[in-house]
Formats: sequence, C-alpha cells, structure tokens
Amino acid sequence: MSKLNDSKKQYNDIEIPTELKQVVSKSVQTVKREQLKKKPSFKKFGLGVAAAAAIFVAGVNVNPTLAQSLSTVPILGSIIQVVSIQEITIEEDTYNADLKTPNVTGLTNKELENSLNEKYIAENKELYEGFQKEMEALKEVGGGHLGVASTYEVVTDTDEILSISRYAVNIVGSSSTTMRTDTIDKKNEVLITLPSLFKDDKGYIETISTYIKGEMKKEMAADEMNMYWIAGEEEVFDGFDTIRPDQTFSITSDHKLTISFDKYEVAPGSMGVITFEIPTDVIKEELISDYYIK
Amino acid sequence: MTKSEKFQLVENYIIENQNAHYRLAFSYVKNKESALDIIQDSIMKALKSIDSLEQTGYLKTWFYRILINTSIDFIHKNKRIVVVEDEVLDFHLPSSEMEVPDIDLYEAIDNLAPEQKTLIILRFFEDIKIEDIAKMLGVNQNTIKTRLYATLRKLRTNMEEKVKV
Repeated sequence: MSKLNDSKKQYNDIEIPTELKQVVSKSVQTVKREQLKKKPSFKKFGLGVAAAAAIFVAGVNVNPTLAQSLSTVPILGSIIQVVSIQEITIEEDTYNADLKTPNVTGLTNKELENSLNEKYIAENKELYEGFQKEMEALKEVGGGHLGVASTYEVVTDTDEILSISRYAVNIVGSSSTTMRTDTIDKKNEVLITLPSLFKDDKGYIETISTYIKGEMKKEMAADEMNMYWIAGEEEVFDGFDTIRPDQTFSITSDHKLTISFDKYEVAPGSMGVITFEIPTDVIKEELISDYYIK
Repeated sequence: MTKSEKFQLVENYIIENQNAHYRLAFSYVKNKESALDIIQDSIMKALKSIDSLEQTGYLKTWFYRILINTSIDFIHKNKRIVVVEDEVLDFHLPSSEMEVPDIDLYEAIDNLAPEQKTLIILRFFEDIKIEDIAKMLGVNQNTIKTRLYATLRKLRTNMEEKVKV
C-alpha cells in the first residue's frame, strides 16, 4: 500500500470553496439565534412598531439602489384584499435581495388589520437589516454570495376564510426556508390560532403529532428518498416530537387542516418545506365545532 | 463547564476544523453544493444537541460521528442524483491519451461503499486511531479491524481487476 501516501495527498488537495467559511458561520449563527429566541426575553422595543416601520419605509425610499413598486393582487368576489405594499430589490454582483411585503386591506376590524400589516413590515424589516449586516460583514472579509428573498401567497380565499403564507428564503451556499401563515375568519374578522380550534390545550397536540409521526414513518417506508428526523429513532438528535401551539397551520378551501414545517425543522434540507394535511376524522373528537374544519 | 462555555468550545472547534470536515463530506458526495449542505446540516445538528456530548475530550469523536452519519444519510437518500462534473466525467471515461497507465488508488477508494470509504479515510487520511474510529462509529475495535482489512483486500482486488482490463 505504498500508494496510500499519494492518495492522502490527493485527499488533502481537495479544494476548499470560498463559500465554506460563510456556510459554517451562518449555520452557527442560525442555531445561536434559535436558542436566543427560545429563552424568555424581556427586551422592550423603544420604538413603536409603526414608528419603526415608518423609518424602514423612509430608508427604503431614500436609498436609490432600492426599487419600490406597488401592485395589486386582485381577489375576485371579496372586498378584503391582499396587496403588495413594498417590493425591495437589491442586485449587487453577488448580493441579491428580493423582498415583497403583503398588506391586508378592507377589514373593518382595523386593529386586526393594522397588527397584521405591522407584523408583515416588521418581518421584512428584520430580513432586510439582517441582510445588510451580513453583506457588510462579507464585504469586509473580501466578499461572497448572499441572497435573501421573501414573498407571500394567498393559499386560501373563500367567503369565510383568508389564509396568507409568507416565505422567507436565506441563501448562503445552500438555502433555508421558513414559512409563516395567518388565517383570518373573514365574517367575524378574527385571527384564527391553532389552539382556538380545539376544545382543550393538550389533546390535539398529541393527536396531531402522533398522526404526523405515523405519516412520516409511512412515507419513509414507501420511498427511501423520504427522510424525516423523528425523536427517539436511532441516530436522531433533536428530532420531531410534538407540534408547537404556534406551529404553522392553514385551512384549505375544502375545510381541511394543514400543518407545516420549515426546511430543516423535521427533515434534511432536501425535503424542503413540508406540509401535512390532517384528515378531519383524526381530530374530529378534539375540534370545538365543525365551523372551520369539516 | 457551563452550557454556554461548552457551546463556545464546540463552535471554536467547528470553525477551526472546517476544512478537514469539508474534505470528509466532499469525499462522499463529490460535489461542492452537497458537501456544503452536509456541513450545514451537521453543524446545526451538533450545536442543537450539545447535551449529547458528555465529555468534551470526545469532541472530535462526537462531531465526526454526526458528520459521517449525515454524509452517509445524504448519499443513501440521493442515490438517484449523482452530479458528475465534466472534468470528472472525462477522467472516468476511457481516454484517448495514454498519459496515465498507472492505476489510481484514490479512484479505487472512491468507488468503495460509503461505509468502507469511511474507514480508509479516517484511518489513513485523517490518521485517526482504530480505537477512536470505533468510538465514532459506535462499533467495537475488533470489528473495525476486521472491516478495515477486508476493505484493504477489496481495494487490492479492485485494482487487479482494473489491471486485467
């Protein structure tokens, strides 16, 4: 085996891509950020969200490299509408940002309308500021590839329900995607939360989690390309155990509940954002009524 | 050691040894994007589960275990997609030039099953002791020795076959 040394040299000559450094630090930062979020925070926001949003809008408009556009997404047969109020694009060699902010109009419950819209602006503001910070940091170390994109989609729009999903994608070498969905009862003009659909606080979590774990196992058995991290399985660290009360959910136009997971939340990145439709039969006993979910 | 000190220790280790980790991941998947994906996944898995690292003395063993499992998982899942770059393809296709009559051991290692490749890389390229490899893979030392010798034998036969062709 005298040639092993030559092979070792070849192995050591594997070229290290310039992106590696960023992928490593980005991954570390992501986990740090997640862990910070888990801890209870007593930070107070000095500025009101609206004021912060105003500064953000001003900043965007003053900066000549940013483009702004106003477009309407028409939704037939309803007065409640979702429009884009802001579109920010940055195209600078290896740095790309494309942020779209949705805006809900037409609700008579202005408190709800404002809180949603302020939240959407705040989300994109955070993405934009994070992007700028990372861009500066990257420029200091000699540049690199960085991308951020956010967009939204009206997933359900019936007479009763409006469901808006926002996607945020961070790209550094590989990408991570998060999805958040708000579901509004259009008739009563209230925001529907996941716990509000169920009789008690705990039963549904267990029922749905058990169902999802079963589906994950079925899918994995059916095709080895499917892979989920399930808690308690061999060689799985920190796998999926139960859904959270604030787990991303939506209601489809045919009144079915769906539960979603971000990229990397319960599966390798290659699986992307994952959505499970929960058969109504499974949760029938736990539901408060069949008003939203049938 | 507090949890945050431990986190810092792991973070420093990950940053200092990123090149070695990348080479290992790359040797499995042979393309940059997938290797970077594996690095990202491994780091996130590791940092999220630092509680599973009981003794910091086993830091390297612990991280390699995550990295190797992530890499092998990745290959098993992505069997259908094998990205072959042009230069790699050229390299594997019979060439018209007569430049390399020499049989490439490195190539032969590449063609091993991922589990066998792991042993060769860890033992000979990374110079890790059999004892530590056993810990990384969660298998006992004698099993590792047996498998390593079997793999070396296989490499020899593989190369002989090539010679006959």
